[in-house]
Amino acid sequence: MDIISSFAIVAFAALIHASFQLSVSMLTLLSGHAIGAKTSHNRLLRLTCGFLAGVGVMTMLTISFICLMFQKSFGEHAPYIAWAVACGLLLGLGVAVWAFYYRREKGTSLWLPRGLARYLSDRAKVTKLSSEAFGLGLSSVVAELIFIFAPMVIAGLVLIQLEPMWQLLGIALYTVISLLSLLIVYALIGSGHRLSRIQKWREDNKRFLQFASGAGLLVLGFYVYVDQIVTATTLAQGGF
Amino acid sequence: MNTPPDIIKRDGKRPTESFKREKLHHSVRAACLSVRSPEGEAETIAHKVSDAVISWLETKPEVTSHDLRRKATDILESFHPEAAYLYKHHRLII
Repeated sequence: MDIISSFAIVAFAALIHASFQLSVSMLTLLSGHAIGAKTSHNRLLRLTCGFLAGVGVMTMLTISFICLMFQKSFGEHAPYIAWAVACGLLLGLGVAVWAFYYRREKGTSLWLPRGLARYLSDRAKVTKLSSEAFGLGLSSVVAELIFIFAPMVIAGLVLIQLEPMWQLLGIALYTVISLLSLLIVYALIGSGHRLSRIQKWREDNKRFLQFASGAGLLVLGFYVYVDQIVTATTLAQGGF
Repeated sequence: MNTPPDIIKRDGKRPTESFKREKLHHSVRAACLSVRSPEGEAETIAHKVSDAVISWLETKPEVTSHDLRRKATDILESFHPEAAYLYKHHRLII
């Protein structure tokens, strides 16, 4: 796979990652509590920056860990079975996102067990320091691992085929793109937009976001399956 | 209000507690501030909502926290719809 195709797949996987909403919900809650408690604008920015840094660091560590594990296990080229499992994961999760990523109730309630959601919500409420916000960012990535794992696996399988320098660039690209939705919310909050409007937009468009995330996973799974398994096996059978 | 009514907590899992005006006032004020209302306006709205909720509670020996929040949201809606939206949905964000 050439570098441009590899980076396109990594970027697309990261975009799908960015469409998942747990971190955005937590950033919205964190900002809401901070603004409601008359926190100064500078402190609000420090808190949200801390959260953003936590999400970024955990995303980068996770994708790096996945790449390292794949490189240790497969070397530079993953076997067909690994690609097939990864494609199966993408397709299965695509259907799962369509089925139950959002709960069937008002607001933007996610699939999380209610006990965990309440815990995260309470933690967001009592977060006063940037270091706590950083920890909250780290844990929001871990809490959503079940959904972001599949795009990360595909990005990892693609990245191990590249030179080390390109691998680092790929990891950085994945991290930055996966943070896009958070960066947009951060910019909106920082520029004084009302949280109610941001939350209202999220609620009004949640079904579209859900459809886009699920469809993205299915499209990526199908493309990678054709590109890495069907094409490769057909070429091998044709003696190329 | 002579004796404050008991508030039955969510799902009945936690013990009931007496109604506290300052707790309601604080949460309504925070909702107004979180949609960037000026502090004075947030205070005024919180006072008006608390007064209206207290007069609604006059005849009730106990209410659930859910009913209390619903009533406060309805009243807040007439003063500040955006704050009411956040107040109503704050547990439905995650």
